[in-house]
Amino acid sequence: MQAAVLRGTQNGYDLVLKQTASFEQILVDLKALLEKLKTDPKALETTKVSLDVLTEDRLLTADEKAQIEEMVGNYPRFEIHKIAANVITIDDAIQLRERENVHLLSKVIRNGQEVVMQGDVLFLGTIHEGGKLRTTGNIFSMGDVSGILQAGYPDDESKLIMGNLQTAQQVRIAEQFDIIESEQLADSRQTIAYVNDLHVLSYGKLAQLKKINPKLYNQIGGI
Amino acid sequence: MGKAIVITSGKGGVGKTTTSANIGTALALMGKRVCLMDLDIGLRNLDVVLGLDNRIIYDIVDVAEGRAKLPQALVKDKRFDDKLYLLPAAQNTDKNALQPEQVKEIVDELKPEYDYVLIDCPAGIEQGFMNAVAGADAAIVVTTPEISAVRDADRVVGLLEQHPLTEAPRLLINRIRRNMMQDGSMMDIDEITHHLGIELLGIIFDDDAVITTSNQGEPIVMQTDNPASQGYRNVARRLEGETVPLMKIEAEAPTGFWHKVSGWFHRG
Repeated sequence: MQAAVLRGTQNGYDLVLKQTASFEQILVDLKALLEKLKTDPKALETTKVSLDVLTEDRLLTADEKAQIEEMVGNYPRFEIHKIAANVITIDDAIQLRERENVHLLSKVIRNGQEVVMQGDVLFLGTIHEGGKLRTTGNIFSMGDVSGILQAGYPDDESKLIMGNLQTAQQVRIAEQFDIIESEQLADSRQTIAYVNDLHVLSYGKLAQLKKINPKLYNQIGGI
Repeated sequence: MGKAIVITSGKGGVGKTTTSANIGTALALMGKRVCLMDLDIGLRNLDVVLGLDNRIIYDIVDVAEGRAKLPQALVKDKRFDDKLYLLPAAQNTDKNALQPEQVKEIVDELKPEYDYVLIDCPAGIEQGFMNAVAGADAAIVVTTPEISAVRDADRVVGLLEQHPLTEAPRLLINRIRRNMMQDGSMMDIDEITHHLGIELLGIIFDDDAVITTSNQGEPIVMQTDNPASQGYRNVARRLEGETVPLMKIEAEAPTGFWHKVSGWFHRG
Protein backbone atom coordinates (compact mmCIF):
# COMPACT_ATOMS: atom_id res chain seq x y z
CA MET A 1 0.00 0.00 0.00
CA GLN A 2 1.23 3.46 -0.84
CA ALA A 3 1.96 5.66 2.16
CA ALA A 4 1.45 8.85 0.12
CA VAL A 5 -1.58 9.03 -2.16
CA LEU A 6 -2.68 11.80 -4.49
CA ARG A 7 -6.42 12.24 -4.73
CA GLY A 8 -8.34 14.56 -6.97
CA THR A 9 -11.27 16.47 -5.46
CA GLN A 10 -13.66 19.17 -6.66
CA ASN A 11 -11.42 21.81 -5.17
CA GLY A 12 -8.09 20.52 -6.41
CA TYR A 13 -5.76 17.82 -5.13
CA ASP A 14 -5.40 16.22 -1.73
CA LEU A 15 -2.13 14.58 -0.82
CA VAL A 16 -3.02 12.00 1.79
CA LEU A 17 -0.24 10.75 4.07
CA LYS A 18 -1.41 7.47 5.58
CA GLN A 19 -1.37 7.40 9.37
CA THR A 20 -0.58 3.68 9.47
CA ALA A 21 2.70 4.12 7.61
CA SER A 22 5.87 5.29 9.30
CA PHE A 23 7.08 8.78 8.57
CA GLU A 24 10.21 7.44 6.85
CA GLN A 25 8.02 5.32 4.55
CA ILE A 26 5.92 8.39 3.76
CA LEU A 27 9.02 10.34 2.74
CA VAL A 28 10.15 7.51 0.48
CA ASP A 29 6.73 7.06 -1.15
CA LEU A 30 6.18 10.79 -1.47
CA LYS A 31 9.46 11.20 -3.28
CA ALA A 32 8.58 8.33 -5.61
CA LEU A 33 5.17 9.83 -6.27
CA LEU A 34 6.52 13.27 -7.03
CA GLU A 35 9.23 11.86 -9.28
CA LYS A 36 6.65 9.88 -11.22
CA LEU A 37 4.42 12.92 -11.71
CA LYS A 38 7.39 15.02 -12.75
CA THR A 39 8.51 12.60 -15.46
CA ASP A 40 4.97 12.07 -16.73
CA PRO A 41 3.81 15.45 -18.10
CA LYS A 42 0.36 14.11 -19.05
CA ALA A 43 -0.47 12.99 -15.54
CA LEU A 44 -1.66 16.43 -14.55
CA GLU A 45 -3.07 18.95 -16.94
CA THR A 46 -2.60 22.20 -15.01
CA THR A 47 0.73 23.86 -14.85
CA LYS A 48 0.82 24.67 -11.13
CA VAL A 49 -0.67 22.20 -8.67
CA SER A 50 -1.72 23.27 -5.22
CA LEU A 51 -1.80 20.47 -2.69
CA ASP A 52 -3.83 20.09 0.50
CA VAL A 53 -1.73 17.75 2.61
CA LEU A 54 -3.91 15.60 4.86
CA THR A 55 -2.21 13.61 7.60
CA GLU A 56 -5.30 11.74 8.85
CA ASP A 57 -5.09 11.05 12.61
CA ARG A 58 -1.45 11.99 12.85
CA LEU A 59 -0.03 15.30 14.07
CA LEU A 60 3.20 16.27 12.32
CA THR A 61 5.83 18.04 14.34
CA ALA A 62 7.20 21.32 13.05
CA ASP A 63 10.31 19.45 11.96
CA GLU A 64 8.36 16.85 10.00
CA LYS A 65 6.26 19.57 8.36
CA ALA A 66 9.44 21.29 7.28
CA GLN A 67 10.74 18.07 5.73
CA ILE A 68 7.54 17.61 3.71
CA GLU A 69 7.57 21.23 2.60
CA GLU A 70 11.20 21.02 1.63
CA MET A 71 10.66 17.90 -0.45
CA VAL A 72 7.66 19.34 -2.28
CA GLY A 73 9.59 22.56 -2.73
CA ASN A 74 12.10 20.68 -4.87
CA TYR A 75 9.42 20.21 -7.53
CA PRO A 76 8.41 23.56 -9.00
CA ARG A 77 5.13 22.19 -10.33
CA PHE A 78 3.77 21.67 -6.84
CA GLU A 79 3.06 23.90 -3.91
CA ILE A 80 1.56 23.18 -0.52
CA HIS A 81 -1.63 25.05 0.24
CA LYS A 82 -2.04 23.76 3.81
CA ILE A 83 -1.20 20.83 6.05
CA ALA A 84 -4.19 19.55 7.98
CA ALA A 85 -5.00 16.70 10.34
CA ASN A 86 -8.19 15.24 11.76
CA VAL A 87 -6.91 15.70 15.30
CA ILE A 88 -5.63 18.53 17.54
CA THR A 89 -3.60 18.45 20.73
CA ILE A 90 -5.30 18.55 24.11
CA ASP A 91 -3.75 21.97 24.75
CA ASP A 92 -5.26 23.32 21.58
CA ALA A 93 -8.58 21.73 22.47
CA ILE A 94 -8.57 23.38 25.89
CA GLN A 95 -7.74 26.71 24.33
CA LEU A 96 -10.53 26.25 21.83
CA ARG A 97 -12.95 25.47 24.62
CA GLU A 98 -11.73 28.50 26.59
CA ARG A 99 -12.27 30.71 23.56
CA GLU A 100 -15.67 29.44 22.55
CA ASN A 101 -17.44 29.00 25.88
CA VAL A 102 -19.16 31.54 28.09
CA HIS A 103 -17.41 31.39 31.44
CA LEU A 104 -19.32 31.92 34.64
CA LEU A 105 -17.45 34.01 37.16
CA SER A 106 -18.82 34.74 40.59
CA LYS A 107 -16.24 36.26 42.87
CA VAL A 108 -15.31 39.46 44.62
CA ILE A 109 -12.59 41.34 42.75
CA ARG A 110 -11.08 43.68 45.28
CA ASN A 111 -9.05 46.86 45.03
CA GLY A 112 -5.79 46.12 43.22
CA GLN A 113 -6.83 42.69 41.98
CA GLU A 114 -7.02 41.85 38.30
CA VAL A 115 -8.82 38.78 37.01
CA VAL A 116 -7.77 37.71 33.52
CA MET A 117 -10.09 35.45 31.52
CA GLN A 118 -10.30 33.96 28.04
CA GLY A 119 -13.42 34.16 25.93
CA ASP A 120 -16.86 35.41 26.93
CA VAL A 121 -17.58 35.97 30.60
CA LEU A 122 -20.88 36.00 32.43
CA PHE A 123 -19.99 37.92 35.56
CA LEU A 124 -22.11 37.37 38.65
CA GLY A 125 -19.79 38.70 41.35
CA THR A 126 -18.76 42.09 42.63
CA ILE A 127 -15.95 44.36 41.49
CA HIS A 128 -14.84 46.83 44.10
CA GLU A 129 -13.31 50.19 43.28
CA GLY A 130 -9.83 49.55 41.88
CA GLY A 131 -10.59 45.96 40.85
CA LYS A 132 -10.38 44.89 37.22
CA LEU A 133 -11.88 42.16 35.06
CA ARG A 134 -10.21 41.57 31.69
CA THR A 135 -11.07 39.09 28.98
CA THR A 136 -10.48 38.46 25.30
CA GLY A 137 -14.19 38.09 24.57
CA ASN A 138 -17.46 39.76 25.58
CA ILE A 139 -18.51 40.54 29.15
CA PHE A 140 -22.09 40.03 30.28
CA SER A 141 -22.37 41.47 33.76
CA MET A 142 -25.16 40.75 36.21
CA GLY A 143 -23.08 41.73 39.23
CA ASP A 144 -22.22 44.96 40.98
CA VAL A 145 -19.40 46.68 39.15
CA SER A 146 -17.59 49.56 40.83
CA GLY A 147 -14.24 48.88 39.16
CA ILE A 148 -12.95 48.40 35.63
CA LEU A 149 -14.28 46.09 32.90
CA GLN A 150 -12.22 45.32 29.83
CA ALA A 151 -13.49 43.23 26.92
CA GLY A 152 -11.81 42.27 23.66
CA TYR A 153 -8.31 42.39 25.13
CA PRO A 154 -5.90 43.21 23.53
CA ASP A 155 -7.31 44.52 20.23
CA ASP A 156 -10.69 43.05 19.29
CA GLU A 157 -13.05 45.97 18.86
CA SER A 158 -15.96 43.73 17.85
CA LYS A 159 -16.49 42.66 21.47
CA LEU A 160 -18.94 44.34 23.78
CA ILE A 161 -19.90 44.72 27.42
CA MET A 162 -23.46 44.36 28.66
CA GLY A 163 -24.92 45.04 32.05
CA ASN A 164 -25.34 47.84 34.53
CA LEU A 165 -22.28 50.01 34.00
CA GLN A 166 -23.50 53.07 35.84
CA THR A 167 -21.29 52.60 38.89
CA ALA A 168 -18.18 51.35 37.03
CA GLN A 169 -15.01 53.43 37.08
CA GLN A 170 -13.97 52.65 33.53
CA VAL A 171 -15.14 50.62 30.56
CA ARG A 172 -12.52 49.39 28.13
CA ILE A 173 -12.94 47.54 24.85
CA ALA A 174 -9.77 46.60 22.99
CA GLU A 175 -7.68 49.77 23.08
CA GLN A 176 -10.61 52.14 23.56
CA PHE A 177 -11.55 53.24 27.04
CA ASP A 178 -14.08 55.49 28.69
CA ILE A 179 -14.10 56.98 32.15
CA ILE A 180 -17.62 56.74 33.48
CA GLU A 181 -18.80 59.98 35.05
CA SER A 182 -21.34 59.76 37.84
CA GLU A 183 -24.44 60.82 35.90
CA GLN A 184 -23.34 59.53 32.51
CA LEU A 185 -25.21 56.24 32.21
CA ALA A 186 -28.69 55.13 33.11
CA ASP A 187 -29.18 52.77 36.03
CA SER A 188 -30.09 49.93 33.68
CA ARG A 189 -29.03 46.34 33.34
CA GLN A 190 -29.60 46.55 29.61
CA THR A 191 -26.79 48.92 28.76
CA ILE A 192 -24.38 47.83 26.04
CA ALA A 193 -20.95 49.33 25.58
CA TYR A 194 -19.43 48.84 22.13
CA VAL A 195 -16.93 50.36 19.72
CA ASN A 196 -18.64 52.06 16.79
CA ASP A 197 -17.50 52.48 13.17
CA LEU A 198 -15.49 55.56 14.08
CA HIS A 199 -13.54 53.52 16.65
CA VAL A 200 -15.18 55.40 19.50
CA LEU A 201 -16.58 53.68 22.54
CA SER A 202 -20.29 54.33 22.76
CA TYR A 203 -23.36 53.03 24.56
CA GLY A 204 -26.67 51.58 23.51
CA LYS A 205 -29.57 49.51 24.78
CA LEU A 206 -30.04 45.78 24.59
CA ALA A 207 -32.95 46.31 22.18
CA GLN A 208 -30.49 47.82 19.67
CA LEU A 209 -28.16 44.81 19.71
CA LYS A 210 -29.20 43.77 16.21
CA LYS A 211 -27.99 47.09 14.88
CA ILE A 212 -24.93 47.35 17.09
CA ASN A 213 -23.47 43.91 16.51
CA PRO A 214 -25.41 41.87 13.91
CA LYS A 215 -22.86 39.08 13.99
CA LEU A 216 -23.28 38.38 17.69
CA TYR A 217 -27.02 38.86 17.37
CA ASN A 218 -27.24 36.17 14.69
CA GLN A 219 -24.91 33.88 16.58
CA ILE A 220 -27.05 33.89 19.70
CA GLY A 221 -30.22 33.04 17.85
CA GLY A 222 -31.79 36.33 16.86
CA ILE A 223 -33.41 36.52 13.44
CA MET B 1 -1.08 26.10 71.83
CA GLY B 2 -1.75 29.78 71.36
CA LYS B 3 -3.05 31.64 68.38
CA ALA B 4 -1.08 34.13 66.28
CA ILE B 5 -3.09 37.12 65.07
CA VAL B 6 -1.70 39.72 62.71
CA ILE B 7 -3.03 43.27 63.02
CA THR B 8 -2.87 44.95 59.65
CA SER B 9 -4.50 47.70 57.61
CA GLY B 10 -2.58 48.59 54.47
CA LYS B 11 -2.88 52.29 55.14
CA GLY B 12 -0.69 53.92 57.72
CA GLY B 13 -1.93 55.91 60.67
CA VAL B 14 -5.23 54.14 61.23
CA GLY B 15 -4.20 52.79 64.63
CA LYS B 16 -2.59 49.37 64.11
CA THR B 17 -0.03 49.88 66.85
CA THR B 18 -2.53 51.38 69.29
CA THR B 19 -4.90 48.52 68.53
CA SER B 20 -2.17 45.91 69.05
CA ALA B 21 -1.15 47.43 72.36
CA ASN B 22 -4.72 47.74 73.63
CA ILE B 23 -6.04 44.35 72.55
CA GLY B 24 -2.89 42.78 74.01
CA THR B 25 -3.32 44.64 77.27
CA ALA B 26 -7.04 43.83 77.43
CA LEU B 27 -6.30 40.11 76.95
CA ALA B 28 -3.60 40.28 79.62
CA LEU B 29 -6.11 41.93 81.98
CA MET B 30 -8.40 38.96 81.33
CA GLY B 31 -5.61 36.70 82.57
CA LYS B 32 -4.31 35.51 79.19
CA ARG B 33 -0.63 35.22 78.43
CA VAL B 34 0.10 37.53 75.51
CA CYS B 35 3.18 38.24 73.43
CA LEU B 36 3.18 41.35 71.24
CA MET B 37 5.47 41.24 68.22
CA ASP B 38 6.47 44.50 66.59
CA LEU B 39 7.31 43.96 62.93
CA ASP B 40 7.46 47.61 61.96
CA ILE B 41 11.20 47.38 61.58
CA GLY B 42 13.00 50.69 61.31
CA LEU B 43 10.05 52.64 62.73
CA ARG B 44 9.22 50.82 65.92
CA ASN B 45 6.47 52.33 68.05
CA LEU B 46 4.80 49.54 69.96
CA ASP B 47 7.40 49.69 72.73
CA VAL B 48 6.77 53.43 73.16
CA VAL B 49 3.00 53.04 73.32
CA LEU B 50 3.44 50.39 76.00
CA GLY B 51 6.02 52.46 77.87
CA LEU B 52 8.69 49.77 77.48
CA ASP B 53 11.09 51.61 75.18
CA ASN B 54 13.81 52.01 77.80
CA ARG B 55 14.03 48.28 78.53
CA ILE B 56 14.96 46.96 75.10
CA ILE B 57 18.22 45.02 74.99
CA TYR B 58 17.82 42.80 71.91
CA ASP B 59 15.31 42.93 69.08
CA ILE B 60 13.66 40.60 66.58
CA VAL B 61 16.45 40.92 64.00
CA ASP B 62 18.99 39.89 66.65
CA VAL B 63 16.87 36.79 67.29
CA ALA B 64 16.43 36.00 63.60
CA GLU B 65 20.14 36.30 62.93
CA GLY B 66 21.14 34.29 65.99
CA ARG B 67 22.79 37.07 67.97
CA ALA B 68 20.34 36.52 70.82
CA LYS B 69 18.03 33.80 72.08
CA LEU B 70 14.32 34.51 71.89
CA PRO B 71 13.73 34.70 75.70
CA GLN B 72 16.58 37.22 75.96
CA ALA B 73 14.89 39.60 73.54
CA LEU B 74 11.44 39.44 75.14
CA VAL B 75 10.60 42.50 77.25
CA LYS B 76 8.31 41.82 80.19
CA ASP B 77 5.63 44.33 81.15
CA LYS B 78 5.81 44.43 84.94
CA ARG B 79 2.33 45.88 85.34
CA PHE B 80 0.72 42.57 84.37
CA ASP B 81 2.78 40.09 86.32
CA ASP B 82 4.08 37.64 83.76
CA LYS B 83 1.10 38.06 81.39
CA LEU B 84 2.33 40.54 78.78
CA TYR B 85 5.58 40.42 76.81
CA LEU B 86 6.91 42.41 73.89
CA LEU B 87 9.26 41.29 71.16
CA PRO B 88 10.54 44.64 69.89
CA ALA B 89 11.40 45.55 66.32
CA ALA B 90 14.88 46.58 65.26
CA GLN B 91 15.47 50.26 64.82
CA ASN B 92 18.57 50.46 62.67
CA THR B 93 17.81 48.09 59.79
CA ASP B 94 15.03 48.04 57.22
CA LYS B 95 12.07 45.77 56.55
CA ASN B 96 14.08 43.56 54.21
CA ALA B 97 16.27 42.43 57.12
CA LEU B 98 13.76 39.64 57.83
CA GLN B 99 12.44 36.80 55.70
CA PRO B 100 8.95 35.28 56.07
CA GLU B 101 10.45 31.91 57.10
CA GLN B 102 12.40 33.53 59.93
CA VAL B 103 9.29 35.27 61.25
CA LYS B 104 7.29 32.05 61.01
CA GLU B 105 9.97 30.24 62.96
CA ILE B 106 9.86 32.82 65.77
CA VAL B 107 6.04 32.80 65.87
CA ASP B 108 6.01 29.00 66.02
CA GLU B 109 8.45 29.14 68.90
CA LEU B 110 6.26 31.64 70.78
CA LYS B 111 2.89 29.97 70.21
CA PRO B 112 3.27 27.08 72.71
CA GLU B 113 4.26 29.54 75.45
CA TYR B 114 1.46 32.08 75.05
CA ASP B 115 -2.30 32.18 74.60
CA TYR B 116 -2.03 34.94 72.02
CA VAL B 117 0.77 36.18 69.80
CA LEU B 118 -0.26 39.55 68.38
CA ILE B 119 1.76 40.69 65.39
CA ASP B 120 1.85 44.41 64.70
CA CYS B 121 2.17 44.76 60.92
CA PRO B 122 3.87 47.74 59.26
CA ALA B 123 1.90 49.92 56.84
CA GLY B 124 2.09 48.97 53.19
CA ILE B 125 1.85 45.65 51.40
CA GLU B 126 5.49 44.93 50.64
CA GLN B 127 8.04 42.70 52.34
CA GLY B 128 7.06 43.89 55.82
CA PHE B 129 3.46 42.85 55.26
CA MET B 130 4.49 39.47 53.87
CA ASN B 131 6.71 38.90 56.90
CA ALA B 132 3.94 39.81 59.32
CA VAL B 133 1.38 37.55 57.64
CA ALA B 134 3.74 34.59 57.28
CA GLY B 135 3.33 33.10 60.73
CA ALA B 136 -0.22 34.22 61.51
CA ASP B 137 -3.29 32.02 62.00
CA ALA B 138 -5.77 34.88 61.87
CA ALA B 139 -5.90 38.54 60.92
CA ILE B 140 -7.55 41.68 62.20
CA VAL B 141 -7.93 44.32 59.49
CA VAL B 142 -8.04 47.79 61.02
CA THR B 143 -9.71 50.62 59.14
CA THR B 144 -11.20 54.01 59.87
CA PRO B 145 -14.45 55.37 58.40
CA GLU B 146 -12.57 57.13 55.61
CA ILE B 147 -12.66 56.15 51.96
CA SER B 148 -8.88 55.90 51.62
CA ALA B 149 -8.54 53.60 54.63
CA VAL B 150 -11.44 51.43 53.41
CA ARG B 151 -9.89 51.13 49.93
CA ASP B 152 -6.59 50.01 51.41
CA ALA B 153 -8.38 47.60 53.72
CA ASP B 154 -10.12 46.17 50.63
CA ARG B 155 -6.73 45.66 49.00
CA VAL B 156 -5.37 43.94 52.10
CA VAL B 157 -8.41 41.67 52.39
CA GLY B 158 -7.81 40.72 48.75
CA LEU B 159 -4.19 39.84 49.51
CA LEU B 160 -5.24 37.83 52.55
CA GLU B 161 -7.72 35.93 50.39
CA GLN B 162 -4.94 35.07 47.96
CA HIS B 163 -2.77 33.69 50.78
CA PRO B 164 -5.45 32.36 53.08
CA LEU B 165 -4.75 32.03 56.80
CA THR B 166 -6.38 29.38 58.97
CA GLU B 167 -9.14 31.80 59.91
CA ALA B 168 -10.88 34.38 57.76
CA PRO B 169 -9.86 38.00 58.45
CA ARG B 170 -12.01 40.10 60.75
CA LEU B 171 -12.66 43.82 60.69
CA LEU B 172 -12.07 46.48 63.31
CA ILE B 173 -13.33 49.99 62.60
CA ASN B 174 -11.31 52.53 64.51
CA ARG B 175 -11.67 56.25 65.24
CA ILE B 176 -15.41 56.46 64.93
CA ARG B 177 -16.75 59.91 65.69
CA ARG B 178 -20.20 59.44 67.11
CA ASN B 179 -21.58 62.84 66.17
CA MET B 180 -20.35 62.64 62.56
CA MET B 181 -21.66 59.13 62.06
CA GLN B 182 -25.00 60.10 63.58
CA ASP B 183 -25.54 63.01 61.24
CA GLY B 184 -24.45 60.89 58.26
CA SER B 185 -21.30 62.82 57.35
CA MET B 186 -19.10 59.79 58.02
CA MET B 187 -19.23 56.39 56.37
CA ASP B 188 -21.65 54.08 58.11
CA ILE B 189 -20.45 50.95 59.97
CA ASP B 190 -22.84 48.67 58.09
CA GLU B 191 -21.78 50.23 54.79
CA ILE B 192 -18.09 49.56 55.47
CA THR B 193 -18.66 46.03 56.75
CA HIS B 194 -20.92 45.15 53.82
CA HIS B 195 -18.51 46.60 51.31
CA LEU B 196 -15.51 44.70 52.64
CA GLY B 197 -17.54 41.54 53.08
CA ILE B 198 -15.77 40.27 56.19
CA GLU B 199 -16.97 39.72 59.73
CA LEU B 200 -16.98 42.75 62.04
CA LEU B 201 -14.90 42.16 65.15
CA GLY B 202 -15.49 45.50 66.82
CA ILE B 203 -15.78 49.27 66.68
CA ILE B 204 -13.67 51.77 68.58
CA PHE B 205 -14.82 55.34 69.26
CA ASP B 206 -12.44 58.19 68.75
CA ASP B 207 -11.38 59.63 72.07
CA ASP B 208 -8.84 62.26 73.11
CA ALA B 209 -7.71 60.08 75.99
CA VAL B 210 -6.29 57.52 73.53
CA ILE B 211 -3.61 60.02 72.53
CA THR B 212 -2.84 61.25 76.05
CA THR B 213 -2.54 57.73 77.45
CA SER B 214 -0.36 56.65 74.52
CA ASN B 215 1.95 59.55 75.23
CA GLN B 216 2.25 58.38 78.81
CA GLY B 217 3.10 54.84 77.72
CA GLU B 218 -0.05 53.43 79.22
CA PRO B 219 -2.69 51.85 76.93
CA ILE B 220 -6.21 53.30 77.15
CA VAL B 221 -7.60 49.91 78.19
CA MET B 222 -6.27 50.55 81.69
CA GLN B 223 -8.96 53.23 82.15
CA THR B 224 -12.15 51.35 82.82
CA ASP B 225 -14.79 53.98 82.07
CA ASN B 226 -13.48 55.29 78.74
CA PRO B 227 -15.59 54.43 75.65
CA ALA B 228 -12.51 53.56 73.53
CA SER B 229 -11.27 51.34 76.32
CA GLN B 230 -14.67 49.62 76.43
CA GLY B 231 -14.44 49.00 72.69
CA TYR B 232 -11.04 47.28 73.01
CA ARG B 233 -12.22 45.23 75.98
CA ASN B 234 -15.21 44.06 73.96
CA VAL B 235 -12.89 43.08 71.10
CA ALA B 236 -10.75 41.05 73.51
CA ARG B 237 -13.85 39.27 74.84
CA ARG B 238 -15.01 38.49 71.30
CA LEU B 239 -11.59 37.03 70.50
CA GLU B 240 -12.14 34.77 73.50
CA GLY B 241 -15.39 33.58 71.91
CA GLU B 242 -17.86 35.57 74.00
CA THR B 243 -20.88 37.17 72.38
CA VAL B 244 -20.78 40.88 73.14
CA PRO B 245 -23.22 43.31 71.49
CA LEU B 246 -21.78 46.25 69.54
CA MET B 247 -21.64 49.56 71.37
CA LYS B 248 -24.31 52.06 70.42
CA ILE B 249 -23.40 54.92 68.14
CA GLU B 250 -25.96 57.26 69.68
CA ALA B 251 -24.46 59.20 72.55
CA GLU B 252 -26.49 58.57 75.68
CA ALA B 253 -28.67 61.50 76.68
CA PRO B 254 -27.36 63.24 79.78
CA THR B 255 -29.49 62.31 82.77
CA GLY B 256 -28.16 64.65 85.49
CA PHE B 257 -30.35 66.80 87.74
CA TRP B 258 -29.64 70.11 85.95
CA HIS B 259 -30.35 68.54 82.60
CA LYS B 260 -33.80 67.59 83.88
CA VAL B 261 -34.38 71.07 85.24
CA SER B 262 -33.38 72.68 81.94
CA GLY B 263 -35.64 70.19 80.18
CA TRP B 264 -38.68 71.70 81.93
CA PHE B 265 -37.92 75.09 80.43
CA HIS B 266 -37.36 73.77 76.93
CA ARG B 267 -40.59 71.81 76.83
CA GLY B 268 -43.27 72.84 74.40
